[in-house]
Amino acid sequence: MQQAAIYNYLSRFFSASGCALQADSHTGQLKVKLTEEMDQMLMNRPFYWHYIKQTGGIAETATLDFRTHTRGDQAELIYFGAPRLHQIFNVAEKMGTFIRLFQNLPEDAPAALEPWIGLNMKISYQCDLKRDRICSVGLQLINGTLIEGFEEMLSGLKLIPKMPDYLYTLSPLITVPSGIKRITAFIERELINEPTDWANEAGQRWLRDQALLDAFYEQQDTKPECYFQEKEALKEQYQPRISIQLINAGLFYLRSASFLPG
Amino acid sequence: MEPIIQFSHSWEEEFLKRIQNDGPWAKPELFQLAYEAESARLVPSFHGLIAPNQLPDLNLHPHQIETARTVIEDMHGKAILADEVGLGKTIEAGLIIKEYMIRGLVKKVLILVPASLVLQWVSELNGKFSIPAVPQRKTYVWSQCDVVVSSIDTAKRDPHRSLVLEQNYDLVIIDEAHKLKNHKTKNYQFVQLLKKKFCLLLTATPIQNRLSEIFYLVSLLKPGYLGDQASFSQNYQKGNRSVKNEEKLKELVNQVMVRNRRIDTKLQWPKRIITSLDITFSKEEQEFYEALSNLKDVGLIQGFSLLTLQREACSSREAAFQTLSKIYKKTISPHYERLWHLLFAKLNAVQRNAKAEKALELIRQINDKVIIFTEYRASQLYLQWYLKKNDISSVPFNGGFKRNKKDWMRALFQNHVQVLIATEAGGEGINLQFASHMINYDLPWNPMRIEQRIGRIHRLGQENDVHIYNFAIRDTVESHILNLLYNKINLFEQVIGELDTILGRIDLNDVDREVSRIFEESESSGELKIKLDNLSSVINSARKQFEEGKTDAASGDL
Repeated sequence: MQQAAIYNYLSRFFSASGCALQADSHTGQLKVKLTEEMDQMLMNRPFYWHYIKQTGGIAETATLDFRTHTRGDQAELIYFGAPRLHQIFNVAEKMGTFIRLFQNLPEDAPAALEPWIGLNMKISYQCDLKRDRICSVGLQLINGTLIEGFEEMLSGLKLIPKMPDYLYTLSPLITVPSGIKRITAFIERELINEPTDWANEAGQRWLRDQALLDAFYEQQDTKPECYFQEKEALKEQYQPRISIQLINAGLFYLRSASFLPG
Repeated sequence: MEPIIQFSHSWEEEFLKRIQNDGPWAKPELFQLAYEAESARLVPSFHGLIAPNQLPDLNLHPHQIETARTVIEDMHGKAILADEVGLGKTIEAGLIIKEYMIRGLVKKVLILVPASLVLQWVSELNGKFSIPAVPQRKTYVWSQCDVVVSSIDTAKRDPHRSLVLEQNYDLVIIDEAHKLKNHKTKNYQFVQLLKKKFCLLLTATPIQNRLSEIFYLVSLLKPGYLGDQASFSQNYQKGNRSVKNEEKLKELVNQVMVRNRRIDTKLQWPKRIITSLDITFSKEEQEFYEALSNLKDVGLIQGFSLLTLQREACSSREAAFQTLSKIYKKTISPHYERLWHLLFAKLNAVQRNAKAEKALELIRQINDKVIIFTEYRASQLYLQWYLKKNDISSVPFNGGFKRNKKDWMRALFQNHVQVLIATEAGGEGINLQFASHMINYDLPWNPMRIEQRIGRIHRLGQENDVHIYNFAIRDTVESHILNLLYNKINLFEQVIGELDTILGRIDLNDVDREVSRIFEESESSGELKIKLDNLSSVINSARKQFEEGKTDAASGDL
């Protein structure tokens, strides 16, 4: 993330979370008066909030001063590795996990909206090395149509949190739990069919180290504790695994054929 | 090999509950921001390093980045980091921790370091890497904190021991790992029992004396990698110091050890400019110095004590006084009263200190920060007093200071004070690269100690040429040492880190013990000169061998 993108991210985050914001894109400065909710999430001062609650006092929320340009005054410099930025990322993920949205359509369009679930997942491939990718899948809950790259497709649509008055939603035939199962089964099938070079190589490293370890303790009939411990540690180090974690999920009501080409 | 596929399902219940309750739902913008946050933090490839881009304030050198990459990708997270002194092993270790943490491969880290370095590690990891490391202070820290720095002596003792051994560490780092060369020690066995997925051993001297040391270090990392003890000695060992199948062993070791040398780093190292100053005693000092040998002549002390006294007298009368009064109290007798009286009269007659005067003159001339090293506490106190009297500000620095006090003194020296007077390099752990002038007020007899002194200022981050001034009093034990030992072996011009290798090659475990033996056993100054000459040629020929060997052996140091 470049500094300009970080500036942009911060101003969107604090506006969206309802904080009063003074931002100057030219100097890269942001002054933020936190809301109570954000103060509790970002400032790590539970005793203060406990005290306010107990005494019924009036809370004074913190004001934060950020800058994204490297040159500048006392304000806290935010760069991609800054712990504060990662704290903000974490809060964003916590506050942005589940959503329900409706497609907003012109009044002359057909009035029925179809239900979808969309899951954004992070897939991590891990042995002694690691890499991730994002997988975004949507499933239509009437006929089971499944779409990859769902998040990107949604970004082309106009979506709002409240159902427009002149539209109505169709009832799903597939329940949400079974929708989730279909999506995970789909991802699993995909993962099984992927090339496994990385896992094979890790497996070979594992075998090699395990053989060395066995040879080292070969002379001892009753193996000492460190043998078993080391064996377990090798498994921890090399065992190839793919873990799939949710980033966020939503229920979407969309016009039929929204995703047809053109 | 089939990877294990693990879906996390913990979120599903919450999602269904929100659907059922019709909310609460996220704001669209926050949903989008959450997705963007995770995209930004994605680790796109198994290879390469992500951490350097997240550490914009840290000036990383190419060899440090390459080392971190090699350790992670080629050595799979188990390695000996054996860079020469001053190339930044701590930085490399920090970079490796950071990279693993960003990738999500490491969460729980244990860092075992000498007690005096605990707080320095904590502050470097927090300050330079934003790694939330904490020093071990309370027992709950072992289980509650993710990145813990402790001394091995604390960790291995109850009640800590059992708690530490319970933890599943993703990464264990051991600084000054050459202290683990003996597999029979409690420390070694303790480290062996730690549950660790990845492991880094840091040492500038992977082999100090015996070839078997490398065997035990490697066996901590990867048991069996060099075979078992029996097959190792059979395959590689010829006596204690000699190696057979050297090429094969080097090749093996180089796959688990990174050793960067100054020469290979292509960094522009500042020059060392050495000035040896031949100083003449004042008349009174000279007389006092000469009178010391009377004590040996009448049999009150042995050669070794005389030598000690003479060295002290070369430093300051204050330094000699303490030893003298101890001997006096031990040997009190009316028979020697007159001799002592004369000696103390000579001591009291000394009103000037030729070296201190020279130091003052130099400090004024340099007009910049200066570090003075002396072997003696008494000389240190005297110098402080003497400089203060002449309007020069100074701070003391002793190996025995607590870490906080060391840091405080260092900060005072950096920001406010012109001179730092140190009695002990502390060897490990204080970096003074903001100063570039050093006075060796007296000379230790072990060249390694000099190397450690110089290493305090001649290291990464030093921007100026480094000036070293060696003081020696003419026609005393000191000038013998300086001329015959230091100047002959060109010690001061030596590339840092080579000396340890050279001394390791010859059978001189303790050069200082060797030197004092020569002084004690020599009957005449002629004999003394010949013996010191011999010693220097032994060291020199070891160095020649080393330099010839260096061209074909890129690394390994075997």
